[in-house]
Amino acid sequence: MQIEGYNMPDELYYEENHFWVREEGDVVVMGMDDFAQAMAGEIVYVQLPDEGKQLKKGKKFAKLESGKWLGKVYAPVNGELVAVNEELETNPELINEDCYGKGWMYKIKPSDMAEVPELIHGAEAVEKWVLADIEKYAQE
Amino acid sequence: MEAKYDFERKYREQILQCSRCGFCQAVCPVYGATLRPALNARGKMLVLKEIMDGKIELNDDLIETLFQCTTCASCFENCPSGVRVPDIIKQVRKDMVNIGSCHPAFKGMHEVLEKHTNIYAEEEPEDFDREHKTKAEYVFFVGCVGLYREDESTEASLELLDRLKVDYTLIDEVCCSGVLEDVGYELNEDLARTNIERILATGARAVITGCPYCARTFINKPEYGELKEKGVEVLHLSQFLKDFDFDVRTDKLVTYHDPCDLGRHCGIYNEPRETIRKIAPNFVELRHNRENALCCGAGGGVRGAYPKNSLAMARRRLEEVEETGAKIVLTECNSCVHNLSNAKLRKQKFKVYNTTQFINELMDDAE
Repeated sequence: MQIEGYNMPDELYYEENHFWVREEGDVVVMGMDDFAQAMAGEIVYVQLPDEGKQLKKGKKFAKLESGKWLGKVYAPVNGELVAVNEELETNPELINEDCYGKGWMYKIKPSDMAEVPELIHGAEAVEKWVLADIEKYAQE
Repeated sequence: MEAKYDFERKYREQILQCSRCGFCQAVCPVYGATLRPALNARGKMLVLKEIMDGKIELNDDLIETLFQCTTCASCFENCPSGVRVPDIIKQVRKDMVNIGSCHPAFKGMHEVLEKHTNIYAEEEPEDFDREHKTKAEYVFFVGCVGLYREDESTEASLELLDRLKVDYTLIDEVCCSGVLEDVGYELNEDLARTNIERILATGARAVITGCPYCARTFINKPEYGELKEKGVEVLHLSQFLKDFDFDVRTDKLVTYHDPCDLGRHCGIYNEPRETIRKIAPNFVELRHNRENALCCGAGGGVRGAYPKNSLAMARRRLEEVEETGAKIVLTECNSCVHNLSNAKLRKQKFKVYNTTQFINELMDDAE
């Protein structure tokens, strides 16, 4: 789904700070969405914490940085960090080039998969949320 | 022929003094990361000579060459002809700004400091949950990087001062704005005045800062001369801490990265080492250390303007850490902590800390 030029696939789940989540068996994959990567500009650094880190929903667990912006990554669900995209260590710009594919960031094993559907999901909800954020950032 | 630019008026003889020996190439962090001879000091001096001879124009085509320098002063330290390269680079950048040829990142930084009180345009001031006292013996001046990029390091420094029962206060600080001088502009007098007034209002006898760049600015820039006139001493945190005993110790192999702003620019090499030797008797020097230390790549605005090359420079420095086998690399500058931590690869198992952060961790473990 395209929303004012941003590619926001509607089969994905979204965390309110613009990270996408996709179910993959008993883990979830997460990354930065197109709106966020476009707003941030060229990503120059992504923190890749050690696997095994316990994550608490809504709490910051990593940082990322573009030339002009320092971002925080918040856990979309409770769970354990089970994998990170090591390619991002030396090629963080993969997030800009292919945010839903090669630019994936983390894999998390949720404590309870039932938390995933609580995220923003579905064409209507995603569109409403993204349009509101476009307006918010335009004002800033 | 009349000189067209201030860099020529001020530094013509210096530029012509470059004998093109190339000693600078061996120590230039930008050359080390890019392997481009035009980017080391010799290359830059040749370009400036061509401009003085009227053979090429000073224009946008030279932004990458002349703005890509961390002003680490390693070239000056190793120059047999004594060419003061960082001073020349700072001047030519001012000339470029005057003709409208500036790197967009630095133009942006200048604009940010016209409207905001820090280089990141952050709106919410950090107070680290500490009350601002009306009077205190010392002011602790954090600096932009410590406030908004390496807050954990700053928190550790403050906790250590608390543990040592130092009578200090934070102030509503604004950017010292010294960095503007490095990237083609002038120090912002309004920001300097604000800092001076807020420091003096506390009646403090000294300003302690964890930022070597802020320390350099306060000590050397005439806009901050009033601090000295009013008897307010300026100390880098490493100078302040060297006389304390911490009663903690580690057996781990520890090494130290000399920040350029603290080392080559302020001549502070011994104080950080005195502290480290007290807590880490198992200490090893990096291959390039003290006056010959390799820059982490963050200075001179390069981290903001050329982040990829900046991180590549930090990775070269971290290779030297690997060579030593050290488990801990300490430094005394939040920008260095930031760039080295960001550059560290997951396979590199050593840790990067500000010295205060490491001492604090040892104290936590001992409790």
